[in-house]
Amino acid sequence: MPDVAADSAASASGGALVPFVPDTEIAVVYPLHHGLKPPITRVSISWARGNNLRVSLLRNPPYNSDSDGEIGGKVVEVNLDSGAADVREPVQWRRIAYGSVTPFALLQSRKNSASSLSKLQSSPSPFHLDWWEHVMEYSKDIKELLGNPKSNYDPLIEDPKEVLKKGEEPTSLKAAWELMEMFYADKLCQSWLPERLVDWLADYDCLLSGDQPTVHSKLVEFQGTLVTLQVIEDDPKYWEVISSALAIGWLEIVVKLLRLHGSYQLDQLGHRETENGLVETVAVLISMMPRFRPELKNGKLGECFEAKPDFMKAWEKWREQITKLDSSAFWVPCHHRQTREGLKNLIQIMLGNTKILCTATAHWIELYISHFLFIRPFTAGLEGMYNLAQKCVQMKPMSSPHKLLQLIIGIIGENTEVVLAECSRGFGPWMVAHAIELLTARSDQADILLHKEHDDIGGISMEELHRLVYAQVLTSHFLTWQIAPVYLTSCMKQGMSLLEFLLYRQPAQHNQLLLKNLEICRLYELDHVSSNIMKIAGVYHWKHGRKGLGVFWLQQARDEFLLNKIARHLFDSVGKSISSESFKQWEGLIELLGSESKPAGSLEFLHKYRDFKKSLQQACDKKTLDAARHAADSLMSLMKNPSTPQRFWLPLLYDSLTLLTWSGRPLLNVSQTNLLLNKLQELSMASVRPGFVATDLPAEALNSVRLALATNLGRAILEEQ
Amino acid sequence: MAITNLPKPPKIHRIPQPKFIDAIRWLSSPSPFQKSFITSLYDSDFHTPSLEIHSLDPSKTLTTALFSWTPPSRISSLKSTPSLFAASTFLGSLHIFKTPEEMSVLGNDMSDLGSKTSDMEPVVSVVGREFHVGSVGGVDLMEGGSECVSVGEDGRVNLVDERGDFRRVFDGNGLVSYSAVKWASPSEFVTGGCGFGLQWWDHRKSGAAVAQFKGNWDHGTTSGIIHSIDIHPSRKHTCLAGGSSGTVFAWDLRRQQEPIILSSIGSSDTMTHPLSESEVWEVQYDCYTKSLNSNISSSRILPAMICSEDGILAVIGQGEEPTELLAEPCAINSFDIDCQNPSDVICSLEWESIVILSRP
Repeated sequence: MPDVAADSAASASGGALVPFVPDTEIAVVYPLHHGLKPPITRVSISWARGNNLRVSLLRNPPYNSDSDGEIGGKVVEVNLDSGAADVREPVQWRRIAYGSVTPFALLQSRKNSASSLSKLQSSPSPFHLDWWEHVMEYSKDIKELLGNPKSNYDPLIEDPKEVLKKGEEPTSLKAAWELMEMFYADKLCQSWLPERLVDWLADYDCLLSGDQPTVHSKLVEFQGTLVTLQVIEDDPKYWEVISSALAIGWLEIVVKLLRLHGSYQLDQLGHRETENGLVETVAVLISMMPRFRPELKNGKLGECFEAKPDFMKAWEKWREQITKLDSSAFWVPCHHRQTREGLKNLIQIMLGNTKILCTATAHWIELYISHFLFIRPFTAGLEGMYNLAQKCVQMKPMSSPHKLLQLIIGIIGENTEVVLAECSRGFGPWMVAHAIELLTARSDQADILLHKEHDDIGGISMEELHRLVYAQVLTSHFLTWQIAPVYLTSCMKQGMSLLEFLLYRQPAQHNQLLLKNLEICRLYELDHVSSNIMKIAGVYHWKHGRKGLGVFWLQQARDEFLLNKIARHLFDSVGKSISSESFKQWEGLIELLGSESKPAGSLEFLHKYRDFKKSLQQACDKKTLDAARHAADSLMSLMKNPSTPQRFWLPLLYDSLTLLTWSGRPLLNVSQTNLLLNKLQELSMASVRPGFVATDLPAEALNSVRLALATNLGRAILEEQ
Repeated sequence: MAITNLPKPPKIHRIPQPKFIDAIRWLSSPSPFQKSFITSLYDSDFHTPSLEIHSLDPSKTLTTALFSWTPPSRISSLKSTPSLFAASTFLGSLHIFKTPEEMSVLGNDMSDLGSKTSDMEPVVSVVGREFHVGSVGGVDLMEGGSECVSVGEDGRVNLVDERGDFRRVFDGNGLVSYSAVKWASPSEFVTGGCGFGLQWWDHRKSGAAVAQFKGNWDHGTTSGIIHSIDIHPSRKHTCLAGGSSGTVFAWDLRRQQEPIILSSIGSSDTMTHPLSESEVWEVQYDCYTKSLNSNISSSRILPAMICSEDGILAVIGQGEEPTELLAEPCAINSFDIDCQNPSDVICSLEWESIVILSRP
């Protein structure tokens, strides 16, 4: 049925909530450096750690033996970069990640103490009033990180023809951060937001010049030709650049350029007096422009007025002066056409002629700024700003949207979700996770939106989601995974379980890394995780032949079960009888087991056995009764101890034949001897059962022990009577 | 923490590095204005380790790589003397180099260096499963001599001579593991490992340690691994050790079973309250700090510098308040005091940077 098919097709496309437009024009090419000789027959691609693709390239296996000696293939990793385009270097990203940990953690702890304080006081706490100040402090620390440390040098001799000063190289990440800061966190600049935007554009206009020219790019271009120009005021470019710079309020550049006008030269001053007077008047008027703002940075021109009535008065007076100049009679004797027209043009800009402003600016944001400066200095409220922005965008449509401008529209459009989406798309997970603090600094509405728990994403809030995403990025790199816990622990719902997962995933091979891992467990009181990690490490080392380390970690984990289990293996390798020679090697391990505080399981036997051996040796050397008695005591405690493996019973007794047949007097009493005889009996019963481990003692060992015990029993009975 | 005996705080220079720093050591230099250091780095983007000699410009804000060498794996331990330095790897190999100063004595002209990094080659390399299996825990070069001792996780203790031949002093067959070693005299050295165990060896008597130290750590949780050992040339009978749980103690051979605890958690002594509760990665006697007490008997422990996983670089003395020199948000993994000019300390931080302290 064609009807149904057409219908379903229509509903499929029409039912989509968001039209999906694939970014076909943004195809990125990543070069591969594999160094293989051409015929590559197979390529396989898979995800590697983090944002990396693992590409395996295979050549055909050589058919004949005298191959070209080439390797058969190679695996390379390609990093697909994310986030801000001008912070491409992973090193730089890591530096930002490291540096933002302390400010973030400080802000979180302040937030926690503030909220616990407000719970105590029950009344609306005073913290709400100055919370934004804490956020501003945080923002200042973060901004410091985002700056580019490379540039920033001051030349000793100022170049008179250098119009554009080179300062810190701007990054779009910092530009975006400043936008968020001024609109969401900084309470002080709320009354003069338009002028704040003027400053912002002065710093970051250069970032906007991509495929479209900007005032900045025009100025840079003109700066290049400036040295070669003979008569500067004849060049139409000169006047064009001046009017563009004036339109976006770069007053000091305009004045500097105007004073390069040829009429200022001493040899020309005589016959171009009127012309020079006009140029200077315009320059003075420009430098006196009233600004509706509390202060200006050093070297910036204009007169500041903080109170609205004062500003109004000054503004009216200024406009009056301009109008007066416009209709003055001095224009007639000015014969230089370009100067006359150029200056008239500047006057029109200052009077707020929309058409001329539109031609002087390139980007819509520049037009927008010029509106603030010359047409609507009192624009207040985000709604008014948004309407104006819409108008400007219509007048100067963009070919491809710039991410910073998209962000501005999102912000003044008062759409928190759009702002978050733009942050995430344009600047990556770091930006979102950290900028959320700015978003919620003063706005309760954003606060509610970001902290609302969503059931469809596991009951977590948007804030937590973005922190988790950032933590995920951190964990994908082996140098930054250690700072992920700071972000994970700030996530109430899922953070801790993900942290445990992260800790389990870390490799256990190297002790140093393992200890760093355990330190994190200690900080966040994850004792069960740390004991599991230690067990993993213990088993790993044990399996790789490092028995000492294995036992150490299992002891630290207090895992008696595993210790008992490996004890059985260990006794096998100890040999069926421990000769005193091989014991030297065991000394270290036994020392380790000696600490009473840690359970050693059946391995405790080794320690006791060593002590027994030592005392036996002493008894044989010294031949004193005391030493012999001591040895006999430790023999008894070994034989009584249930952890002594059965297979060691006979070797133990055989070793202590000298004690059993001690000349002079018997060392063991009747009940002790009986106990030993019983053990011997038990042993001969066990020997017929399957699974009995035979000793490599001489065949007559059992008999000689039995005989010695019997003799001892006889002597003991005699003594006790 | 009160900074008691420092009138002025030290000057601190931070130099970010593009790679992770595994270890760092000063190199002796002919002039105090031309300092250089050796560092073992790990490039996480390309998974390549490197051993590099850097020179430090007099303002202490910029470093330039002079020499570089690519080891077979990451460096596990690095030690230097005025004429030699030795590096051991996670793969169980040992490499000994002549210092640049020594190389120039041998005829190499150093004057044209500076702009580009040149390659260096070890004078001795010992590799193979016969030597060590698995990571080498620690190495130490004899001061003035040329013998190098290496200990490993595999429990082996080896002596390497200047020709590259090695002699096995002991083979623990994995039943023990060693993580630190330090020469005490031309024939004696001390090793450390798990369970805060220390062993005193005399290589003339191979087969077993001469003395064993196994402290009675009855506080339950305080057992751990020794990470670093130092022995003062004037007090060869005492050995300083630092390890897990913020523990720093001294072992006096003359009183074998009582450790002198300088810092540890769980110790009831109020004078030695713990400076750190995490791993103490390195300890070194600090000859720059003078002890407050004037009567320096031979049984008294000299001031020592430590660095820890929780980011503390401090000087501790027996029975004195510790002096904190640095408190970083990340771990300080290693440090070195310049033996020619002990006011200068260099340390490597977890977050890929170097800090240079110049004490007033």
